[in-house]
Amino acid sequence: MPRSLPLLLFALLAAGAPPVRGAGLQVNLIDGKGAPVEDAVVSLVPLDAAPLAVTSAPPPEIVQQGEQFTPFVTAVQAGSTVVFPNRDKVLHHVYSLSKPKKFELPLYSPGQAERIVFDQPGLVTLGCNIHDWMLAYLVVVPTPYFAKTGSPGSVALTAPPGRYRLEIWHPRLAALLTSELSLGEGGVTPLDFTLQLKPDRRIRRAPGAKATGY
Amino acid sequence: MSLRLPRFRRFSLRLLTLLLGLLFAALATTYLLVSRANQSNALAHSEQNLELGARIFDEATRQRVEFLARSASVLSGDYAIRQVLLAEHPDARTLGSSLQSYTGRVGAPVIALFDSDQQLLANSDIAMDNENRGPFAYLIQLATRDGLPQASGFAYLNRELHVLVVVPLYAPYPEIAAWFGLAFPLDHAFAQQIKNTTRLDATFVSTQDVARPRVLASTLPAREAGLVAQAVRDNHRAQNRLGILELSGERYVTLFKSQEMLGDEPVAVVLQRPLSAELAQARELENFILLISLAALAIATVAALWIARGVSQPVRVLAAHTRLVAAGDYTQQLDLRREDELGQLAAAFNQMTLGLAERDRVRDLLGKVVSPEIAAQLLRSEVRLGGEEREVTVLFSDLRDFTALSEKLPPAEVLALLNRYLDRMSAVIERHGGVIDKFIGDAIMALFGAPMASPDAAGQALAAARGMAAALAELNRELVAEGRPALAIGVGINTARVVAGNMGSKTRLNYTVIGDGVNLAARLEALTKETVYQTQVITSEATVRAARNAGPVRALGNVTVKGKTEAVAIFAVEA
Repeated sequence: MPRSLPLLLFALLAAGAPPVRGAGLQVNLIDGKGAPVEDAVVSLVPLDAAPLAVTSAPPPEIVQQGEQFTPFVTAVQAGSTVVFPNRDKVLHHVYSLSKPKKFELPLYSPGQAERIVFDQPGLVTLGCNIHDWMLAYLVVVPTPYFAKTGSPGSVALTAPPGRYRLEIWHPRLAALLTSELSLGEGGVTPLDFTLQLKPDRRIRRAPGAKATGY
Repeated sequence: MSLRLPRFRRFSLRLLTLLLGLLFAALATTYLLVSRANQSNALAHSEQNLELGARIFDEATRQRVEFLARSASVLSGDYAIRQVLLAEHPDARTLGSSLQSYTGRVGAPVIALFDSDQQLLANSDIAMDNENRGPFAYLIQLATRDGLPQASGFAYLNRELHVLVVVPLYAPYPEIAAWFGLAFPLDHAFAQQIKNTTRLDATFVSTQDVARPRVLASTLPAREAGLVAQAVRDNHRAQNRLGILELSGERYVTLFKSQEMLGDEPVAVVLQRPLSAELAQARELENFILLISLAALAIATVAALWIARGVSQPVRVLAAHTRLVAAGDYTQQLDLRREDELGQLAAAFNQMTLGLAERDRVRDLLGKVVSPEIAAQLLRSEVRLGGEEREVTVLFSDLRDFTALSEKLPPAEVLALLNRYLDRMSAVIERHGGVIDKFIGDAIMALFGAPMASPDAAGQALAAARGMAAALAELNRELVAEGRPALAIGVGINTARVVAGNMGSKTRLNYTVIGDGVNLAARLEALTKETVYQTQVITSEATVRAARNAGPVRALGNVTVKGKTEAVAIFAVEA
């Protein structure tokens, strides 16, 4: 159930429950061709208040299965723990050379599930030293108010009134898209963005390799 | 100025000169045309070669860049480098040593690693320090700006010409964690490699200091390379200029190619090929043509001589024969068994010779039948009937008692004796300018002053008569000595105006004279039979008067001859 958490979160936010004191924000993302943008991380970084502590939700997973990372994009609040279960029959060697968190999980076996804490906000690009095509992004945000777009290309966020910096990240976005805004009491503010996306440059799996479900 | 053509005395020489001249002109023209075509072909071919060489240079560097880029992308997947980069502050010395091990793997002498801010992280080569960062940093900026998977260019590293390429280190793709910078020197070895591929001499010249170009690498010896550098100084603005450059006496077809540098004056890439090398093959052809030409000339010489001989030999024979004919020898016949014009000429010549011989025979016969003078006159002018009145001295002579004599002797002996007599008399008459008009049996009729006028015809006739008397005396001595009877003659001479000309029918005619004067001469001859006169030569007063010097004459008085009414004074001609 790789996408269960964001989907659940999305569902909860969209339904307006559980009741949260604050204002709602509906962000709709389309690309240059008008198509909804999936896998974008939208976050609201409070400018006045101190960042809230990490909620003790069950830690998200970035699964290695079928010699792929699932999900492709994961967003977590800084300080969160992420679990890296290997559900393949082959060894993996997860690493990241990204500044917020350089780490590696050298050659670990199927069934293992390493846990790593990401306390620095920023983008952590994940790779596998064995499988060049394996790629995943972990967006570490300094706020609990964040969400990832699904296939409709929109997210709903609820946050207390105040000033925020809206940050939109996408793997094919040249730079982080930011916008300052203030949230009042109640209501849902719709915001539409058109993203100029670069071409998808992910490499395909090496020929001869067999995809084992996804 | 008039063009004077040489004159040839010999046909063979003329033919030879003409044939060889034409052939030589044709061959020389061919040779020159081929030579010129070869020259321009060689030039065009050289230029093509050079342009191809320039493309090969570009392709060689491009492939080198490609190879380095591919090698770098393999390196970027390398385990070890990531391990080292995982450290919070990667150790430059460790990175450097790992890059050094890469240089061995990919064959690039220089490998450097830069972070995404183009700062030098590590370097395989101690010599290549931060000073050489510039061109790499420029390439990284370029690649980052345009999202290129690699970027490359030409630059100086430690004053040496290098091809640079920057390739991202992905962690993982397409996330760029760092940049590899690789460099390959375009040194003497590279120039030599270009030469091995293209057979062109390659020289790379730096124009950083325009006044003093620097040879970066060359396949030429140092001195020639220096000359090339000087030529670059003179041409350094030229882009892809083609030309001929002379180096140490050897002409090189030369291409100056301008190679853009990263942030520096362009480098001149000079590609060259000696023209002689390009012409070598053509020279072979030219020599072959020369050989064929000489052989053709030799064969033509032999052929021309043969043909000339075939023509001039019979011509010489004809000429020799003509000389024979001119000398009067009509007995030889030309024997040229040929079907051609010369054969026809020979046949015509033979016919002509026959004709000439015929005419000569006729003329000879004519000379015998009539006197030579008459014959000459007949041949000179058209023979026509009719005559003219002119003064002529006519001499008649006759043998005394010849009829009686002829009865005593056999006919053959008579004829022999008569011929002997006539021969002597004719000779005397002719010696004195007389012309035998005709023999009438034993009688002779001779003319003086006809057909050729003579200033002293009468005198000549008198002298002839005296000569005849003397000749007869001589002949009689011989006859007596032979035991034969002596001969006696009578001679009559008269000078008168008579008609002289051709008389007879259209087909048969005689040159003769007619008139009373002729008859008188005959009568005077008859008078010598009269013993009363005691002379064997009687002439008329007219003759004595007409002669410049009549000599001793004795007047015989006047006589009226038969058929004449007027008396004529006659004289005996004394010896």
